[in-house]
Amino acid sequence: MDNLHIEETKYTPEILLNTDGTISLTGKSYPENTFEFYAPMIEWIKQYFTTSPATTTTVNMEITYFNSSSSKLFFDFFDILEEHSENNDITINWIYDEENESALEAGEDFIEDFEDLNINLVEK
Amino acid sequence: MDIGQVQDLVENDGIVFLSYGGFLSQALISGMTEALEKEALSSDISMGISNNIFTIFIELAQNMMNYSKTQHKDCQEIEPGGLIVVSKDEESNYYIQSQNIVSIDDKKKMEPKLIDVTTLDKESIKKIYKELRRSGKGTHNKGGGLGFYEIAKRCDHIEYNFKKINENKFYFHIKTKINTHNKIKKDK
Repeated sequence: MDNLHIEETKYTPEILLNTDGTISLTGKSYPENTFEFYAPMIEWIKQYFTTSPATTTTVNMEITYFNSSSSKLFFDFFDILEEHSENNDITINWIYDEENESALEAGEDFIEDFEDLNINLVEK
Repeated sequence: MDIGQVQDLVENDGIVFLSYGGFLSQALISGMTEALEKEALSSDISMGISNNIFTIFIELAQNMMNYSKTQHKDCQEIEPGGLIVVSKDEESNYYIQSQNIVSIDDKKKMEPKLIDVTTLDKESIKKIYKELRRSGKGTHNKGGGLGFYEIAKRCDHIEYNFKKINENKFYFHIKTKINTHNKIKKDK
């Protein structure tokens, strides 16, 4: 399985998916067609867990702002992570700027929704 | 669309710093969002409020891009477009509003959500948002059906109306207000 790197654009984040278990999404997220844009990432993560997951998986999410369809997509992404959290050591770092209270709230909402996931709120 | 309508929309709301009428594309939305980022940087509103403004703007603009049924008078082709205006008043309340043409079927789909977001309190809106996001009930090929709830979570007031054009078409106008009082940037 190969690493997957998707470059940042003005409206989509940089995505790094590494087979060593380091995953990151950094930037803004309001694609024209969200589900289509993230399809390769979702495909990759499913394959990663079914074939060769690393001992620990760390997901760093640093999204400044995002539209509602991205919110739905992140939910579905976390849902996949939660499905595999019993057999894998998964940590999610929700990284936000100290002044960005709306990003903090979004992170808190995900924590409420995914009690079985280890989500840390990390202030920059 | 008549650009003169911009004046009617913002009559009492002070300074307009972004207005656009016409065809909408992702590239245009992204360019306008960048312009809003510049405006926000030069004002003293917090990053959280700024991001709420960008998100509401993006939701409204992408809604119009995906659903607007604007039709040229002289041709049959339907293209996505409408009118979007961002303004602020003397007390630094921000207003984001849009107007576009929708079909009667879309009106019927939008109305229950619009009634929710204009009548329920923030806690109830958040609850519906989270339920919809979890269940995926509103999910369609373009999104999660969460847009109006996303907007409601991030603003202080929403008004909307539908104005009949003919049996099948309506002007849909929505106005959102973001209050920035007591939310100014923290001193570093």
